[in-house]
Amino acid sequence: MSELLASIALRTVVVSGVATALAVLVGVPAGYAIARRSFRGRTILLGLINTGMGMPPVVVGLVVWLLLVRSGPFGDLDLIYTQRAMVLAQFLIATPIVIGFTTASFQALSPRLPDLLVVLGAGRMRRLWLLAREARLGLLVAIMAAFGAIVSEVGASMIAGGNLERSTRVLTTAIVTETSRGEVERALSLGLVLLVMSFVVNLSLTVIQQRSRA
Amino acid sequence: MDVEFDGVQVERDNRRVLDIPALRLRNGRTTAILGPNGSGKTTLLRLIAGLEHPRSGQVRFAGSPRPPVAYVFQEEVFLRRSVRENLELGLRLRGVAIAEARARVDDAAARLGISHLMHRRADHLSGGEGRRVNLARALALRSPLVLLDEPLEGLDEHTHSRLLDELPQLLAEFDATTLLVTHNRDEALRLAQDLVVLVDGRVRAAGDKREVAMNPSVVEVAEVLGYSVLASNGHRVAVPPGGLRPGAGPIEFSVVVEDVLDIVESYQVVGRVGDVRVHVEVPFMSALPRRGERMVVHATRSSEIA
Repeated sequence: MSELLASIALRTVVVSGVATALAVLVGVPAGYAIARRSFRGRTILLGLINTGMGMPPVVVGLVVWLLLVRSGPFGDLDLIYTQRAMVLAQFLIATPIVIGFTTASFQALSPRLPDLLVVLGAGRMRRLWLLAREARLGLLVAIMAAFGAIVSEVGASMIAGGNLERSTRVLTTAIVTETSRGEVERALSLGLVLLVMSFVVNLSLTVIQQRSRA
Repeated sequence: MDVEFDGVQVERDNRRVLDIPALRLRNGRTTAILGPNGSGKTTLLRLIAGLEHPRSGQVRFAGSPRPPVAYVFQEEVFLRRSVRENLELGLRLRGVAIAEARARVDDAAARLGISHLMHRRADHLSGGEGRRVNLARALALRSPLVLLDEPLEGLDEHTHSRLLDELPQLLAEFDATTLLVTHNRDEALRLAQDLVVLVDGRVRAAGDKREVAMNPSVVEVAEVLGYSVLASNGHRVAVPPGGLRPGAGPIEFSVVVEDVLDIVESYQVVGRVGDVRVHVEVPFMSALPRRGERMVVHATRSSEIA
């Protein structure tokens, strides 16, 4: 059991960690661009992103399943019921959260700050890096919120991953499985592991966040 | 380095905000850009800094590419880091070695009297301290082109007056082509050698400050420079601020008195010549006019408006 539990816990961290990292890679530059630029349809886009922040994971899972299932448009990729499918589903859940929080964090900075950095001679990537450091309190909230949302979701992982014991079962889907089998104690201990894991990740990010306030 | 505008037009939301067929800002001099709010002053600076781009035309820098500029924004803009880190950032971004950057920053900080602030968080400074750090950052950069956007705006009177006294010496130390945006005539006259008057995005007067300020030839320029434009014997004349005195004279006006204010050292009569509101200082011991009365005043100096 303990070996199985360890592998489920590790899989949970890896799948949600990779999905969060990808969401940050896409979401931070996107949030920066939305905060910095004014363009036609910007408000509608922000409205869609804010809606996406509260998207039901089970719906995202269903969409991913429809796309990746053997008879679906990307069925040939053979991704359904794999960890990659779970990463994709969780990435789709996490990205609007990262974009939403990132946009708000960058918008909270002085609008003259990007101009200052241009005038001082910072190139595009250097500017993004310096501004991200300025907005780091908010960006860490974005990471925590995104990781928290996907590590605790069950619907998308269940549908896209299939809850296969040796390859795609994660802590949340394992809890559902054990509860349905009547193994309440095992479900509770899995729940405890999930809570501790979530706490450790968030505590680490909070420590970084609060240190950088100084 | 001369800065030349050639057929420059800037549009925003389908509105022309700047239209400068030709303008030359002279090398090594301080040019004040004067104009009312919304006249395009800041846009002009941003254009020179490369923060905005013209729809047509170009800004030229004595045949060279745009030089690195030092830009002092209207408000204090800092990273949430120490004053020293903020001051060194621009130098580091421009590839200046650490030791050299440190020395230049120490130098600029000493010049502006902020050496004791170097370890404070820059975004926690008071207004006056922030402006000094802003100016020190520009000084440390040693750019051939310095752009100052209302660097003293919003300061309390004491701090404003102290920095205004220090700025001429500081501008000399910049040893650069300097542009100062302001809507304060006195600031412009004290700090600049050349004046550019901008109204509705167009240059209405430009040149040596004495020529521009002494003889405003059009109403808009006169008004920006604080002149009152009054009708006299069928002509329009511009009277400089404080240029009306009680009593008859070669160019005289009849003022309808609206109010008489006790301003401690003297009295100030607020009144109207036609539709134009004027202020006339009256010595403390003189007989004072009453509200609604007419009072004869004369201009100590005036220039004719086309």
